[in-house]
Amino acid sequence: MNPREEKVKIITEEFIENDEDADMGRQNKNSKVRRQPRKKQPPTAVPKEMVSEKSHLGNPQEPVQEEPKTRLLSMTVRRGPRSLPPIPSTSRTGFAEFSMRGRMREKLQAARSKAESALLQEIPTPRPRRLRSPSKKELETEFGTEPGKEVERTQQEVDSQSYSRVKFHDSARKIKPKPQDEEELLNGDDAEDLLLGLDHVADDFVAVRPADYESIHDRLQIEREMLFIPSRQTVPTYKKLPENVQPRFLEDEGLYTGVRPEVARTNQNIMENRLLMQDPERRWFGDDGRILALPNPIKPFPSRPPVLTQEQSIKAELETLYKKAVKYVHSSQHVIRSGDPPGNFQLDIDISGLIFTHHPCFSREHVLAAKLAQLYDQYLARHQRNKAKFLTDKLQALRNAVQTGLDPEKPHQSLDTIQKTINEYKSEIRQTRKFRDAEQEKDRTLLKTIIKVWKEMKSLREFQRFTNTPLKLVLRKEKADQKADEEAYEAEIQAEISELLEEHTEEYAQKMEEYRTSLHQWKARRKAQRAKKKKRKQAAEEHPGDEIAEPYPEEDLVKPSPPEPTDRAVIEQEVRERAAQSRRRPWEPTLVPELSLAGSVTPNDQCPRAEVWRREDVKKRSVYLKVLFNNKEVSRTVSRPLGADFRVHFGQIFNLQIVNWPESLTLQVYETIGHSNPTLLAEVFLPIPETTVVTGRAPTEEVEFSSNQHVTLDHEGVGSGVPFSFEADGSNQLTLMTSGKVSHSVAWAIGENGIPLIPPLSQQNIGFRSALKKADAISSIGTSGLTDMKKLAKWAAESKLDPNDPNNAPLMQLISVATSGESYVPDFFRLEQLQQEFNFVSDQELNRSKRFRLLHLRSQEVPEFRNYKQVPVYDREIMEKVFQDYEKRLRDRNVIETKEHIDTHRAIVAKYLQQVRESVINRFLIAKQYFLLADMIVEEEVPNISILGLSLFKLAEQKRPLRPRRKGRKKVTAQNLSDGDIKLLVNIVRAYDIPVRKPAVSKFQQLSRSSRMFSEKHAASPSTYSPTHNADYPLGQVLVRPFVEVSFQRTVCHTTTAEGPNPSWNEELELPFRAPNGDYSTASLQSVKDVVFINIFDEVLHEVLEDDRERGSGIHTRIERHWLGCVKIPFSTIYFQARIDGTFKIDIPPVLLGYSKEQNMILERGFDSVRSLSEGSYITLFITIEPQLVPGESIREKMSNMLKKFESQEDEKLLQATEKFQAECALKFPNRQCLTTVIDISGKTVFITRYLKPLNPPQELLNVYPNNLQATAELVARYVSLIPFLPDTVSFGGICDLWSTSDQFLDLLAGDEEEHAVLLCNYFLSLGKKAWLLMGNAIPEGPTAYVLTWEQGRYLIWNPCSGHFYGQFDTFCPLKNVGCLIGPDNIWFNIQRYDSPLRINFDVTRPKLWKSFFSRSLPYPGLSSVQPEELIYQRSDKAAAAELQDRIEKILKEKIMDWRPRHLTRWNRYCTSTLRHFLPLLEKSQGEDVEDDHRAELLKQLGDYRFSGFPLHMPYSEVKPLIDAVYSTGVHNIDVPNVEFALAVYIHPYPKNVLSVWIYVASLIRNR
Amino acid sequence: MATASPSVFLLMVNGQVESAQFPEYDDLYCKYCFVYGQDWAPTAGLEEGISQITSKSQDVRQALVWNFPIDVTFKSTNPYGWPQIVLSVYGPDMFGNDVVRGYGAVHVPFSPGRHKRTIPMFVPESTSKLQKFTSWFMGRRPEYTDPKVVAQGEGREAITAPRKAVFSVHGLTSPRALALVHIKGT
Repeated sequence: MNPREEKVKIITEEFIENDEDADMGRQNKNSKVRRQPRKKQPPTAVPKEMVSEKSHLGNPQEPVQEEPKTRLLSMTVRRGPRSLPPIPSTSRTGFAEFSMRGRMREKLQAARSKAESALLQEIPTPRPRRLRSPSKKELETEFGTEPGKEVERTQQEVDSQSYSRVKFHDSARKIKPKPQDEEELLNGDDAEDLLLGLDHVADDFVAVRPADYESIHDRLQIEREMLFIPSRQTVPTYKKLPENVQPRFLEDEGLYTGVRPEVARTNQNIMENRLLMQDPERRWFGDDGRILALPNPIKPFPSRPPVLTQEQSIKAELETLYKKAVKYVHSSQHVIRSGDPPGNFQLDIDISGLIFTHHPCFSREHVLAAKLAQLYDQYLARHQRNKAKFLTDKLQALRNAVQTGLDPEKPHQSLDTIQKTINEYKSEIRQTRKFRDAEQEKDRTLLKTIIKVWKEMKSLREFQRFTNTPLKLVLRKEKADQKADEEAYEAEIQAEISELLEEHTEEYAQKMEEYRTSLHQWKARRKAQRAKKKKRKQAAEEHPGDEIAEPYPEEDLVKPSPPEPTDRAVIEQEVRERAAQSRRRPWEPTLVPELSLAGSVTPNDQCPRAEVWRREDVKKRSVYLKVLFNNKEVSRTVSRPLGADFRVHFGQIFNLQIVNWPESLTLQVYETIGHSNPTLLAEVFLPIPETTVVTGRAPTEEVEFSSNQHVTLDHEGVGSGVPFSFEADGSNQLTLMTSGKVSHSVAWAIGENGIPLIPPLSQQNIGFRSALKKADAISSIGTSGLTDMKKLAKWAAESKLDPNDPNNAPLMQLISVATSGESYVPDFFRLEQLQQEFNFVSDQELNRSKRFRLLHLRSQEVPEFRNYKQVPVYDREIMEKVFQDYEKRLRDRNVIETKEHIDTHRAIVAKYLQQVRESVINRFLIAKQYFLLADMIVEEEVPNISILGLSLFKLAEQKRPLRPRRKGRKKVTAQNLSDGDIKLLVNIVRAYDIPVRKPAVSKFQQLSRSSRMFSEKHAASPSTYSPTHNADYPLGQVLVRPFVEVSFQRTVCHTTTAEGPNPSWNEELELPFRAPNGDYSTASLQSVKDVVFINIFDEVLHEVLEDDRERGSGIHTRIERHWLGCVKIPFSTIYFQARIDGTFKIDIPPVLLGYSKEQNMILERGFDSVRSLSEGSYITLFITIEPQLVPGESIREKMSNMLKKFESQEDEKLLQATEKFQAECALKFPNRQCLTTVIDISGKTVFITRYLKPLNPPQELLNVYPNNLQATAELVARYVSLIPFLPDTVSFGGICDLWSTSDQFLDLLAGDEEEHAVLLCNYFLSLGKKAWLLMGNAIPEGPTAYVLTWEQGRYLIWNPCSGHFYGQFDTFCPLKNVGCLIGPDNIWFNIQRYDSPLRINFDVTRPKLWKSFFSRSLPYPGLSSVQPEELIYQRSDKAAAAELQDRIEKILKEKIMDWRPRHLTRWNRYCTSTLRHFLPLLEKSQGEDVEDDHRAELLKQLGDYRFSGFPLHMPYSEVKPLIDAVYSTGVHNIDVPNVEFALAVYIHPYPKNVLSVWIYVASLIRNR
Repeated sequence: MATASPSVFLLMVNGQVESAQFPEYDDLYCKYCFVYGQDWAPTAGLEEGISQITSKSQDVRQALVWNFPIDVTFKSTNPYGWPQIVLSVYGPDMFGNDVVRGYGAVHVPFSPGRHKRTIPMFVPESTSKLQKFTSWFMGRRPEYTDPKVVAQGEGREAITAPRKAVFSVHGLTSPRALALVHIKGT
């Protein structure tokens, strides 16, 4: 039922809306009748017909189809809504009792209670405008037939159901013809029956209520309350302003208000109305009654930069512009500074003409005419300005203002202020009036003078009977309206009178006041005097003696006279008089003088002689002008004849191209008479134009000039500087000087692009003016060149600048700065003035933060933290120990720490080196970040012809050539690498002459000593190396099974075992490389100090069978490895060389127990014959890094270039020569080393020969073999080689090669090949040998320095680092090629075809083979040496050496125990002491020729031990290399259970603390 | 606890290289990798990847769609060195040589959520006109030794300063990297 009811409502509403205005004519006949009952029963809620009909239909599914029907039915209802008032709800039940109450009540009660609760909400308020059916039909209704239907309806409808029924039938009948099936179906009884069934159900739920209805009026009413349509009408201003306030227009008051944005008027009105409705406070409105608005923000021009349109425009930005070179102008005071864009500036001077206001050739008439013209000009100027009029207007305005100010209707300002302003006004009025009177009087006088002069002129013309000038004055009368004029005049006078009166009254009042006070005083005084007099009288009476009392001040007694009141008549009289004097009287016409040149000049033939002469004289004269710029003539005008009117027209424009700021600009007026020399008449100084004055805008100005020359002429001309008179009697004399005016204009020219060609302001002004310029204040108001801020401020105040106007803002700011506090400009500039506010934590706290510190140190690249990863998040997670190392280092920077170095001296040296390194690194820090393009971008090189040709050639090449060529590997820059990317490849090819095991038998026999060890060994050997080796044995070959072990960065690789003393492995070993801290930058790689150890071992198999009985059933052997020797190659060498390829001497200890070299076995190779036996074993190696790293060569070169820039004490010529020499050498043999200058330790460039000078070796060494020079030389070489080797590239991070002098080298006790070579060479020189420094390439060092000596018909090449020497033709000489030789006084560059020492001639005297630096063309200038005069050697401290020896021994023992963590390490003390005893002997003999004795001795002492061991010999630098050396031998690796160790250290001190360290390590296995 | 496991925060990046606009080129593939600071370490997922080759779509957009997933997790202790995705796009040129078509880099978004980034791409230009021609002819365009350079500052001056060659922004090409970032603090 609910839906149905709703529908009722909906339809009702539709009804109202749709049919309200429907046509009346469609009403049926019943309408009249129907109206009746409505009138009868106005209060009843009449159900609508439609409702009944609809309920009848009972078909809720067809709302649309019902539509036409309702429409039709509603015709009767139509009138309802308008006419009927709302029905009170109380009345609706009244009719309900009309019928059926009995039947319906119970059901309704029940239904209502249900329905109300659930549905009532949705029932609308009752609509009162329902019509009923006519009453007669009501009678016809059969209630009985439709009981159920009625229940459906609301209560109100119940009563009306009868009508509706009828109505339905009625209407149904009408509709019948319509072809609607349902309608037909519903019509009639069967339709009703159909519905009945439903009705019963519906009864129970429905509560009946009247349909709610709201009248249109109500709605409108409500709408009116709720809705508001803003009107478009203009809101009257009074509504928008507070009451009683007049709108105030700021613009009219002259204040800047800005441009309001444009809004349509109507929209504005709407908004205003809206605002007024909403918010009665009016705060949206300004004083002028308009909506407050900000100035229009839209700029007239777009500020966005123009959009780049196409790609080409991008290119265009990158394009370079060609600018012509501009000549540099020397800077001086008035010259533009070099920082400014130099250019040609241009000043345009336009000289249009010259007018003489007086000239010697003036006739009298001319004088008058000039005067007249001048006066007339004056008059015109005054007229144009019309000051009188202006002042009159102002006066008027002021008067009005006073009037309005007195207006009592203005309640707002206090009386005080009004009075004040009025007073101000009044005083201003007074002043203005005075000014005006003065002006008017002047005007009048001028006019009078003009007339007077004209009259004079006329009389003169008459007198001389000719006219010289065409001047003519006409006075024009302008008649004014006399009456109005008079009135105005009178009013003016009256106003003036009244003002004066007022003034006078004020004055009077004031005077009266004064008078009164003075009177009062006077009276008081009199009284007092009288009293005194009385007193005195009394006193006189008492003391008649002293009658002469003080005299009375008589003046006090003068009685003040009252001021006289002003008399109006008197004032009037005064005013009128004054007016008559200064003002045009109202009846007088206005006189306007007009000067014209209309008059005619009397022709020559009618003139007297004198006049003709004068005229001819004038004609002879001509005038020109010189233009002087900065007192230099720059140009001159053409010479023009003087006209009869004394005007000269030039009309010339001079464009002055200038570079300087103009100082002065002068015109010189020259006059030529006939053909005589020109005479300077006068100088005219032209003002230099303002920067704002540019061509086209400059007005023509006239500058007056005058000359003081005296000219007397014999004709009519009056002359110059000569008195003359107009009067016939000569009285009233007049003296005139030549004078005139130049009309000109000076302006700055404008360049092509519209920029004025103005030079920047001269320097002295620039500071001040630039500040102004920046503010652009001056240009904004159109003035410039101001110098006084105070004046400016005053001017601004006077001109009443509007401070609101944004145009004036900079000026106002300037003024405020200038006026307030003497223009305080801080003399400092604060960069981040807000920094303080952004500090979230104090600096102290920040510094305390560990995390911050860590980050800071890392970013500083402090070595300890350089690659620190994962800085913890919290402070608490950062261990203190992180900083410990760093702090320790900082602490120890100056403290010498001896623990690690043991030897104090070396500790000091290490410290020193560290400091030098740091300083050098800091110096070149920038360059380390240097990248080349090739580092970043892979780019193909431009193919040149040869490459193209080659590549073409390649096409024809065989795919697999018979002789393949080596291909260059791709180089990799180090920066993008990471761990594991780099590998070290070591290719072990073969070895020669490995020591072999000593055949025990022979030894045994030789020694003829019975020892168990040897017998056992003898017994063991054959069994171990049974059948295969037995074959060799007959040949006498003693077996050795060598293998090579390469260890690098604690990674160890080894080859397979080969056999024999000349093994061939040909194996490639791969070792990973790990950069320190994972930093693969070039700098870091260069400083890698790791060394590749290549150790050769002998693999020895031992049978470990305890029991002979088992021999038949099994073999138990133990592998032992015996160290034979090693080769050490520093990584830095590999890194810089990229590959190392060659045969190296194996460093074999002087004593190898159990091994010997068999000389007779190795004869198969040719070179063996030339090699002496003492020379050791050799190994052929190939080492490289994969991938190939680009060494920081470019940096080094760059740096060395940079270092050359450092100051050098060398002669400039010499330096140039070195460069030339090097360039020439490099051109011929680019690969050969050529060295002329080097950098010393302080970074200065030094010529290399300065390093060579004979220096004394230690005396101690010389004393050893006093007679054997060769032995001494060897000893010296050994001494030099004992000085530790420290490559520069390591210590100075690949930056540069520094050469230290020999004493520095000995002090530092560290240096690389150069230092060693220099020292050795110097020693040799002092020994009297012929010695040279030899620069070349060696293996494995790379570019290095050797020493060449000439001895007894052969050349010897000394390796200074090892102390070994080689003959020139030694194949195993590590030196592979020779670049140049350096002697103490010359440099020789190798220009031979070959550079291998084997193939070259060392005879430097032959210029075809050696190119010498100093030659005949450049003789040796005798360079002094940088070396000291003499080297001073201290004797080494033996005790300290002994102490060091003990400490090293202890450390090494500890280390060996550390390396054997799983085994017990026993030390054989007996053996140790024996070894210790041997070591000094070894030192003495330098490790030679002791082997046999040594072995014998050992065997004697340690008979029952199997012994393997060897002495190591090294120079001493630090402990670490010693430890590494011991480690690399692998002695500790023996894990035989009953092994014992012996270790002895011996240090032999040489002078200057050079220490030779011997370490003897041995392992012993006791033989049972 | 602190000593046992230092606290880190995690940055999880899920996303994909969606598509690119290379109006002139077709059949491109792209490679992504990450550049991050010292305090960062990848803990899971792939740091680098090379996508499939994709062809231009046939519609007006002409987009090259890869939809190539990125999924990586970083741990870090310091926002400094926040990871950057470096994209490099390669494809065949006229002669079928594989050349680089663009480099670009963008920081992984800083805030969690779904982000879409459009990266302008560029290629280094040849140092001279002649080289430009030869590189075009031989199909060996200049390339970075390591694409990570584009996300790093050092060495840039080598490219700009000593020679006149500079980068040219190559059209408005844009592989769009879509990333979902999850930041996890512990």
